[in-house]
Amino acid sequence: MAGAMAVCRKELADDLGSRRYIVLFGLILIMSTMSAYQGAQYIRNNAGASFLAIFYGSQFGFSFTTLMVFFGPIIGLALGFDAINKERTSGSLSVLLCQPIYRDSVINGKFIAATTALSLLVASTIGIMSGIAMSVLGFGPGLADVSKIVVFTLLTAVYLAFWLGLGILFSTVTKKISTSILMTIATWLFFSIVITIVAALLASYIVPIAMPSGPSGGGGGGGESIFNSPEYRALLERRNTIQTSIQRISPSYLYNEAGSAILGITGGGGGFGGGGFIGVGRGTPFRAAAGGNLAQALAIVWPQITAIVVGMVICFAASYMLFLRLEIRPEG
Amino acid sequence: MSQPIIQTQELTKHYGEVKALDHLNLTVFEGEIFGFLGPNGAGKTTTLLTLMGLTVPTSGTATVGGYDIIKDSRKVRQIAGMLPEGAGFYEDLTARQNLDYICQLNDIPKLEREKTIKQLLDAVGLGERADMKVEKFSRGMKQRLGIAQVLIKRPKIAFFDEPTIGLDPQGVKEIREMLIGLNKEKGLTVFLSSHLLYEVQQTCQRVGIIRAGKLIVADTIENLSNRIGGKDKIVVELELSKLDADLIREIKGINGVLSVDQENNKINIHMESDKSKEVSETITKHGATILLMKPKEHSLEEIFLEYYKEGT
Repeated sequence: MAGAMAVCRKELADDLGSRRYIVLFGLILIMSTMSAYQGAQYIRNNAGASFLAIFYGSQFGFSFTTLMVFFGPIIGLALGFDAINKERTSGSLSVLLCQPIYRDSVINGKFIAATTALSLLVASTIGIMSGIAMSVLGFGPGLADVSKIVVFTLLTAVYLAFWLGLGILFSTVTKKISTSILMTIATWLFFSIVITIVAALLASYIVPIAMPSGPSGGGGGGGESIFNSPEYRALLERRNTIQTSIQRISPSYLYNEAGSAILGITGGGGGFGGGGFIGVGRGTPFRAAAGGNLAQALAIVWPQITAIVVGMVICFAASYMLFLRLEIRPEG
Repeated sequence: MSQPIIQTQELTKHYGEVKALDHLNLTVFEGEIFGFLGPNGAGKTTTLLTLMGLTVPTSGTATVGGYDIIKDSRKVRQIAGMLPEGAGFYEDLTARQNLDYICQLNDIPKLEREKTIKQLLDAVGLGERADMKVEKFSRGMKQRLGIAQVLIKRPKIAFFDEPTIGLDPQGVKEIREMLIGLNKEKGLTVFLSSHLLYEVQQTCQRVGIIRAGKLIVADTIENLSNRIGGKDKIVVELELSKLDADLIREIKGINGVLSVDQENNKINIHMESDKSKEVSETITKHGATILLMKPKEHSLEEIFLEYYKEGT
């Protein structure tokens, strides 16, 4: 690990002081405190509501979970997309590699530093949100809720680290920063918006549901009762299953599912689920928290959590291998 | 001459189909300034990158300061510093912060860092710009910072890849004097890669010429010059008050003169044996005056071109 600590220290100072980090942090903080305040108001008016409502409840604007679903990728990618290629184009990479350090120290140091910066962002945002809610409500979360908050914080940090890993991977495979920026934007668009549309289209293609008024209506049921017929509901269910399976390609969707379960949001999917991007503007309707046990929630969503962790590991491992094999050539 | 400090054996590097280095055998001795010459794309940079462990050779081996460049590449980087071509720094950090980072990477204790950095910045003439951001530096200042960066680890060997490219004459001179000074005062072995022949001639004691990844020749400039001269026996350089085709034809006609070539108002006469007397008589008879007449010394440019011709 010779040198990794030095690289990490320098990169962390760079990250924390960088404009992009400060701007993103500021935005997240403003929107989160607003949703925390709204959440606290809701809890005050609904006796049965859980303290955790501050993270997913928001009448106006984004809730914290929705924020992370949509802007999490941007935050993670923003800290990673030029990690390697910027140093390659500026020529500082070759100076760095002329120092008596192992090459992996560079990429390890960068990854650790950016992950730390992201974790700081998540932890302090969640901490500030809880603080605001506590001062509005006059009471804090119970022990069970605290443990859920901790697990949710960890999940969010890992989720952001996944996007960071992907960003670093882009910066390793591309030479030009402009290329990796484009890849970053394309990835974000794909996983946040395009996949929802594709999933909906594919699902309706695979499971066509005839309009009730259509002359070639497959279902035998007549008139208005068609919506209640078991065949129709079965079709709808199948269609939903297919749509969900396709959307699970997106780490954002997986994060949303896992996060919702941990926080105990009933009715799956939360604000993101069916509506996709269109649903975001509306914010997430408040739901009475089901309470739910953390262990039970984890038992249900462990595949989602595992998928996010594995994704992060794969992205990092791929950038690690590519970086170690990176040929420092004449002409950069 | 002292001990060899860099030795490569059959060092080969392929980039796909392209052979950047082709069984390169090279020796550099301790305490010398070695000039590594070759046109762009001859393999100079690849050699340096390979020696510093930034790229892995396809085959062959090399040692730097006794350490194997593949197995002990980190140790190589402990005793050898390099200023890569197009070296860059962190633009949003100051000169001092940049060097501090390099110090940390070299495990220099915190207490020593401040002093080391100050000394080095003074040595390269950046003492007063220590707290200026590198983005405001001129090219020459960046190169000087680059030299300071190389010296942080107190290296035994320093590699410089085209250190004066893109600098103004004043900058070139400063860098050159710095390199010569380091060599003299600290006994630093300097490995200078360049395609600027004049620079190499002014700086280096020994030169190696590389072509298509192969070392063509390595020797002192004096020896190389003599070796070329030896083939032509005698060459005399003349400057005349007037020069025309008739005169050249007459000189060519003298028994023992091999050839005459013209450079502006000067002519070089290649002779099998010393025919200076006959030549000067012919010129006087023709009505011209000899302004200058001296045995020809080979410039590095000629040596270089000669060896390139040979290689083909």
